[in-house]
Amino acid sequence: MKKADKLLISLLLLLSIGLLIPMFLYSQQGSFAVVKVRNEEKLRLDLSQDGEYEVQGTLGPVHIIVSQGKVEVSQENSPLHYCSKQGAVDNGAVPIVCLPNETVITIENDTENIEDTVIQ
Amino acid sequence: MKRNQFQTITTLAMLTAIGIILQLVEAFFPLIVVIPGYKIGLANIAGLFALYAYGSKEMIIVTALRVFIAALATGTLFSVSFVLSVTGCTLSCLAMVLAKKINLFSIYGVSVCGAVFHTFGQTLAISLIYQQFFMGGLLPVLTALSVVSGLGIAWITAMLLKRLRPKEWKNYLQQVGLNG
Repeated sequence: MKKADKLLISLLLLLSIGLLIPMFLYSQQGSFAVVKVRNEEKLRLDLSQDGEYEVQGTLGPVHIIVSQGKVEVSQENSPLHYCSKQGAVDNGAVPIVCLPNETVITIENDTENIEDTVIQ
Repeated sequence: MKRNQFQTITTLAMLTAIGIILQLVEAFFPLIVVIPGYKIGLANIAGLFALYAYGSKEMIIVTALRVFIAALATGTLFSVSFVLSVTGCTLSCLAMVLAKKINLFSIYGVSVCGAVFHTFGQTLAISLIYQQFFMGGLLPVLTALSVVSGLGIAWITAMLLKRLRPKEWKNYLQQVGLNG
């Protein structure tokens, strides 16, 4: 291994760590789970209220459970079942993503109207 | 056509076949890691081997054929995963060719470049196809993992190259009487 290799590898690792830190720094415990299908907001679930919900994904229904302030996908139809394997999530930095169903669940605070930057 | 050319064509065909098999085998055993889209990229062993044993042109041939035929075999031709595959491999091939051209990196650096650019390409393609930009959040994790897998692939390929250098390959063929 040459010196340039080591430099490249350490640069890439530093870059990825550097990109990770702000994500966890600025992610707070949110109070709402936002369910989007094809980038269209379908549900806005209050994490303090337990319940079971269902949205229609691309490959079939996606079953969502909210309990104890966390949200999880319990049943869905996809080849690898990444999103149901992921389990319960309560952190804004880790979205639940089901690409085959084009469904994304993110945790957000109820600060819809407060934008931090406005680009015009 | 000279005998040498036949030899090259045969070896490239065999490399392509190995690449296809590695890609199919890898698709059968998805890694149970909760990071969507992560794969080791074993199939790149064939491409990297072609790059070092022959050259850039040969690597592009091997990789392009591998992606196309593997998609044909799994029935995903022209589907989303095929597009992802093509985008990733195009960027990764370009990155590896350039990284080798500038003569600064050893096989490890070249392989890591390829792996990282493969990740970039796929993330870009997913973001554009599904119009969803959450994949940007996974990019740091995927980059770090692809550095690791790139190093692994380079290690395997380096071992292969050491054992199967073209000269020794030829001698071996002469020993078994396949090459005049």
